[in-house]
Amino acid sequence: MRECKIIREERDGLDIVKLDGALDSYSFPRLETVLNELRESQRHRVILDGSGLDYISSASLGALIGFARRAREQGGDMKLAGLSPKIVNIIELLGFHKILELYDGVEKAAAGF
Amino acid sequence: MNADPASGAFLASFLFFLLTVASVAIFLMTAAIRRLRRERDELIHQEEVIFGFIHDVGDVFVHSEDVDIERMLDRVLFYAERTTRASAGAVYLYERAENAFKARALSGIFPPLESAIEEELTQAVSKSLFVEQQVRSQLIPRGKGLVGEVADFGSAILIEHADRDVRVPRHVPDFLRIESILLVPMRFLRKVLGVVVVVNPIDGRPFNQADLSLLQALADQASVSIHYAGLRDSLNEKQRLDHDLAIARQIQTALLPHAIPELPGIELAAFTHPAQEIGGDYYDFIRIDDDHIGMAVADVSGKGVVGAMMMAISRSALRTQAAQSLSPAAVLREVNRIMFEDIAEDMFVSMLYMIFTRSTRELVVARAGHERPAIIGGGDQLFQIIDAPGLALGMADNETFDAALREERVQLAPGDLLVAYTDGITEAQNESGDEWGVEKFLEAVSAAAPSGTQAVLQSVQQGVLRFAGAMPQYDDMTLLTLRIQP
Repeated sequence: MRECKIIREERDGLDIVKLDGALDSYSFPRLETVLNELRESQRHRVILDGSGLDYISSASLGALIGFARRAREQGGDMKLAGLSPKIVNIIELLGFHKILELYDGVEKAAAGF
Repeated sequence: MNADPASGAFLASFLFFLLTVASVAIFLMTAAIRRLRRERDELIHQEEVIFGFIHDVGDVFVHSEDVDIERMLDRVLFYAERTTRASAGAVYLYERAENAFKARALSGIFPPLESAIEEELTQAVSKSLFVEQQVRSQLIPRGKGLVGEVADFGSAILIEHADRDVRVPRHVPDFLRIESILLVPMRFLRKVLGVVVVVNPIDGRPFNQADLSLLQALADQASVSIHYAGLRDSLNEKQRLDHDLAIARQIQTALLPHAIPELPGIELAAFTHPAQEIGGDYYDFIRIDDDHIGMAVADVSGKGVVGAMMMAISRSALRTQAAQSLSPAAVLREVNRIMFEDIAEDMFVSMLYMIFTRSTRELVVARAGHERPAIIGGGDQLFQIIDAPGLALGMADNETFDAALREERVQLAPGDLLVAYTDGITEAQNESGDEWGVEKFLEAVSAAAPSGTQAVLQSVQQGVLRFAGAMPQYDDMTLLTLRIQP
């Protein structure tokens, strides 16, 4: 599996976390670090750009939902953008599309805030 | 022509000798080819496969005396000095954490290669000890100095007369002066693992090309061992994980039903195959009363001991609630209530819970974010996928969970077969990284369905095995099946 690249970017007051590769048990701790940094610096409005993501482990999904939930408590959210149909299928199978907001692209996700 | 019996016997034993030599050679070659293949795979599949690989070589090193890398390096250095008649030497190894090379083995009074240290040296009590500490504490990045140069280019450097080369540091004290120096890389595949350095032959003559060839050959040999020994750190971690997983596995095994209920008119069967790494699946059969049987398949998002504990919590929550209600959705709602309050907030369990009524042959399905079960018709062998909407357990408050969950009712007929499974089966991967997939899985099920539930289990196991081959699978595989006797 491809190593996961995690790129952070700030745009119009939103934080965009772009994932490129496979989010598995090896790369997951690095994403956790990024999410913790965001939380500690009070950045609760986040878009996860998953257009380059080819795999996501269930533990990573759990962490994303946990982040989104805590962000909402602070008036923010984490919205997911650009996921492949395969990953959308996994999310729908788990019913998580009822908890997380999914968008086709980053712009649409940004408009959702 | 008369054959001389003595020469006949000689010929026979000579042939036997040739055969033995040939078979030993073939055996060694096959072993070498096998090793090379493994090394190639390691490069291709990166970390996932490296961990499998570490696991394989793990056993070898656990029982090998050579597991101690320092002792191995000392031995390499001993042979390096003996081969080249050097009076001092060092082995530098690449340290991943520092992204630099560091002296890990020293012999004789090895002069620092980076900087002059004369000033402090005059005050040091034990001069040789001071020098050694200096050399050991220096970090040499790739490309810096002689060691860095060898590491960067991956090729040896021979400096016969050091005083004519500006790259060699000039030390004032006689015992640190470098007359002649030879550095060779330790390479494994295309990586430079370290650098072997020797200085000043004891006979006062400079190192030569023959010394270089011999030392390079020695370093090449050592590289393989060092590469494996370098895996040791990851190995210790791996062993700790293995221990955790063994405990998790015990919990998991203890939680599975000890016997599958036998009931007139239906056949039940199930299996679960724990994977190397992720322990999170379980299944259960619950006899609610004489007419109703509950069936559950679940997959916990966490792994290791934490995952096993989660599994234990969800199982006991399910067992307690199952006795209270004949509605699977009502049961799952209660389980979610318990789990949402009690478990780590980033973990979840996908669970399928179904209740079958024997007298009416009605199946009621509630799906908390789990793989959709399927029914293969006894008559037409067509399959129907049951898509009951729902959300995984432990992730949403009751209101959200309840709103998402809806039961599906299915009327079963004699000969019909139900399968429920975890994603470890359909996401089993082959060498090219392709997944087995739901379609192939259902084909394997329907091909065996007329022969009963045991045949279905076998057909699926064989199907996965044929598809995935020797690829290690990283997720548990669980399959549960029920068939109405025709």
